[in-house]
Amino acid sequence: MNGHRKRGRVKTTIGVVLTAVMLFPVYWMLNVSLTRDQDMRKSPPDLLPLHGTLAGYRTVLAEQLPYLATSLVIGVGTVALTVALAAPAGYALAKLRPRGGGVLGFVLLAAQMIPGIIMAMGFYAIYLQLGLLQSVPGLIVADSTLAVPFAVLIFTAFMSGIPGELLQAATTDGAGTVRTFWSIVLPISRNAVVTVSLFAFLWSWSDFVFASTLVNGGAHEPITLGIYHYIGNNNQQWNAIMATAVVASLPAAVILVLAQRYVAAGVTAGAVKD
Amino acid sequence: MNHTTKLPDHRSERVRSGAAIAASAPGRTIKRRRPASTQWAAWGFLAPVTVYLVLFYAYPLYRNLDLSLRDYTVRSFVQGDAPFTGLANYRRIFDDPTFAPALLHTAVFTVVCLVFQYAIGLALAVFFHQNFRLSATLRALFLVPWLLPLIVSASTWSWMLNSESGVVDAVLHAVGIAPVNWLTSPSWSLTSVIIANVWIGVPFNLVVLYSGLQSIPASLYEAAAIDGANTWQRFWRVTFPLLRPVSAITLLLGLIYTLKVFDIIWIMTKGGPADSSTTFATWSYQLGFGNLLPAFGPGAAVGNLLVIAALVFGLVHVRVQRKQALS
Amino acid sequence: MNTTSRQRRLTAAAVTVAALAITATACSSGSGGGDAKSAGSGTYTVWDPYPQFDKTSDWAKLVDQCGTKAGVKVKRTAFDTSDLGNKTLLAAQQGNSPDVLIVDNPVVSTLAEAGVLTTTADNKLDTSKADPNLLAAGQTGGKTYGTPIGANTLALYYNKDVLKAAGVDIASVKGWTSLTAALAKVKKAGKKGITFSAIGTEEGSFQFLPWLWGSGAKLTELDSQQAVSALTLWKDWLKEGYAPNSVLNNTQTTSWQEFASGDYAFSENGTWQLANAKKAGFGYGVLPIPAAAGGSAAAPTGGEFVTIPVQKDTGRYATSQKLVTCLTSGDNLYNTDTTLSYVAPTSEVQDKQVAANPELKPWVDAVKAAKGRTSDDLGTKYPKISEQMWKAVQSALSGSKSPKDALSEAQSAAK
Repeated sequence: MNGHRKRGRVKTTIGVVLTAVMLFPVYWMLNVSLTRDQDMRKSPPDLLPLHGTLAGYRTVLAEQLPYLATSLVIGVGTVALTVALAAPAGYALAKLRPRGGGVLGFVLLAAQMIPGIIMAMGFYAIYLQLGLLQSVPGLIVADSTLAVPFAVLIFTAFMSGIPGELLQAATTDGAGTVRTFWSIVLPISRNAVVTVSLFAFLWSWSDFVFASTLVNGGAHEPITLGIYHYIGNNNQQWNAIMATAVVASLPAAVILVLAQRYVAAGVTAGAVKD
Repeated sequence: MNHTTKLPDHRSERVRSGAAIAASAPGRTIKRRRPASTQWAAWGFLAPVTVYLVLFYAYPLYRNLDLSLRDYTVRSFVQGDAPFTGLANYRRIFDDPTFAPALLHTAVFTVVCLVFQYAIGLALAVFFHQNFRLSATLRALFLVPWLLPLIVSASTWSWMLNSESGVVDAVLHAVGIAPVNWLTSPSWSLTSVIIANVWIGVPFNLVVLYSGLQSIPASLYEAAAIDGANTWQRFWRVTFPLLRPVSAITLLLGLIYTLKVFDIIWIMTKGGPADSSTTFATWSYQLGFGNLLPAFGPGAAVGNLLVIAALVFGLVHVRVQRKQALS
Repeated sequence: MNTTSRQRRLTAAAVTVAALAITATACSSGSGGGDAKSAGSGTYTVWDPYPQFDKTSDWAKLVDQCGTKAGVKVKRTAFDTSDLGNKTLLAAQQGNSPDVLIVDNPVVSTLAEAGVLTTTADNKLDTSKADPNLLAAGQTGGKTYGTPIGANTLALYYNKDVLKAAGVDIASVKGWTSLTAALAKVKKAGKKGITFSAIGTEEGSFQFLPWLWGSGAKLTELDSQQAVSALTLWKDWLKEGYAPNSVLNNTQTTSWQEFASGDYAFSENGTWQLANAKKAGFGYGVLPIPAAAGGSAAAPTGGEFVTIPVQKDTGRYATSQKLVTCLTSGDNLYNTDTTLSYVAPTSEVQDKQVAANPELKPWVDAVKAAKGRTSDDLGTKYPKISEQMWKAVQSALSGSKSPKDALSEAQSAAK
């Protein structure tokens, strides 16, 4: 018993050290956000911001909160759209196996390869025609292209692991395909849904290319564009930039720690895991 | 009325087709032809995604192809009357002196990043799988690098690796090692961007591999332990083989994302100095958008080369998967 | 069991709902650029590269005021300056150009070549008051494509305290040899010599140009003896440790931050740092960049141009011209240039600036002696030359090539 607990403590210590090493750049970002302008390029640099300044944070909290709210709305919207599009597709590819399903899977792989800026240019042209430029729903649709192909792959992989007997049982009981999907498959795939939601949220949270091409100058801009307020044409305010990043990461970090309880089980098999 | 008469046909159709398949292909349990009704339902489920793909991916892909097959000057880009020149842009980039270094750097960057991201991600996944105190919280904290916009992560690494005021060199100096010009020396620039990219890529590998680990039943480990296998053997004989499908998809997706990596390299070194950290992705951007006189044609041509490379690897993956499914 | 047809009905319904949803969003968010722009009055769009100025800033208020004066509503969008050229090309391709575009001066010739901008003949803009050396950056093929909003240029800032501690008399710095000697003295006294920006972007070219021109070389002959001597000067500084290795990656901001730490004697930087210089906390001075054999080197002009892009409805030019005239009129120009720390492009406002702030006098003189990068009818040849030039600087300073080889290669590539 004692030995086991000691081993556990050693592992926790190692875990903490590894996490600290991994997060050191994040600490550095925090350090820079608290540094005065004249100490920015001190050589050698201060490991701790002893002569710190809160100027960056004051600027950010005064200006950036609306951007954070917009980013949050866009993040949630992207998650909803991605799951709505990808879950049925994953189910179809995994269980219903239509003809040409393999081709679609391959196309989804290829679709992820298109450089972001080319996608952005395409969206610009389409949205200009549809009048969707500088609108939040437009950006949500654009950001979902970051996650949908990946989400379909995840859902397909996960749902292939659902035992056929469960679905057969449902069909015998008289459920149609849609009913089976809604009442049986989706609840079982809860972990895949959470995993996909996590990726979709994070990718849309840190997206810049689409935001800059499609909503620049609109009424609502996400936080990635808000950072550019501090990147003027000749001068950059680094402590404000880093402070924005710190403030932007906090709500997402909280969501992460809360959601990690669900990002636990199988992406691939193990349908009846919990 | 209609429905009741359809029912027996429906069921018997399924039975018939099932029987037919069972008769014709005794060994193949995977592919079963589905009746037409399920086909319709399946395509109904797939319809939104297919429409979505066509609307939002087909047009940019077509534009990218079009850009690479015509001779676009700034004027013809705006006015829209560029002459068709076939493969001239591709020939131009093949002849460009930057082509060979970019190809080499792309290959080195991708392979090294994949290897390290996968290995570190796997090691961490196995480590955190042991469920000690705080393991769940620490695992969640490992995802924090992902929350940062790339401009911030890349800038932070630039600051840390700065030759004059960077903390990495300060630490090296304190330990007695000569400082390294991480970002400004042609010999180290590629290594620096690889380090930053591995840092950014580890969380993805950690999450996916960890969830793969979760699906391996504990009973297998117990059985192996009873058979006398030590930790290392348990890993190689039980964990690793069972992780193969997850590893395959992780590596494939990792490959695609690494081929696309551009922001990190651009912000840290701009592909320099002297093209020493230029990859196809940065070269494509530099040609099309990174200078005052954009050359859209060659930029799109380089971009298309990347798409073709990814497609080739995708095909390889599908082949390997099919072989595994049949075996 | 009604599986099949129910299936089909459901999926058909789902697809219809999706289609309706997309159409509904399209109709509801009606900020379509096309409709608003066809009317003679309506909303006029202004694009500028000043994202640091938000809605509450003086610049934004000025834009609104000019709009009110011209009798129209104005919508202003700020972009990252390195991105604005590309965004404009994309917008022009889609027929979505802004009515007034404020853009960095070396980009003007590229946009003019693309047919995106109107000439003064088309838009009836009066550019007679602008200084000719500043206006030249926006002129190609004998036509003028816009008017400067202000100019800035480069000079050497120096740290009086560091120089005093090293025993260097600033009056002794007259040419390259005396400058290098001063740097040697500073290094011996334990401080650092000079910092600048040699990054692989237009900023690096911008910073190298005074030295190139100061050696007597021309942009059309990158491989001349004089050009090689300019690049060798920088390379030797790095070798001797008078300049830090970080210059290869420094932006002008980063280079300024190094100077602001108080360890450096000299920093090559621009007019816009004046406000920061006052906050620096040590005594500073400004010196024109010396030419090789003495005297001042010609420095390149920075600063933006106000232009009027081509529109389908040519009736809009009259109002756009009113907006531009308002933005570049005497008093407004003075306020804008003071905020941006630019030197005004007309002599009358320059006099006003010097009268209010005598410290600006050396800068005004420097701007009068400065040259546009795209002047001498280089136009769109400049971006190509510039890219090869910064590549050569990077190769030479990082040690992969000798200055001579780097510049010969640059010259053949730029042809």
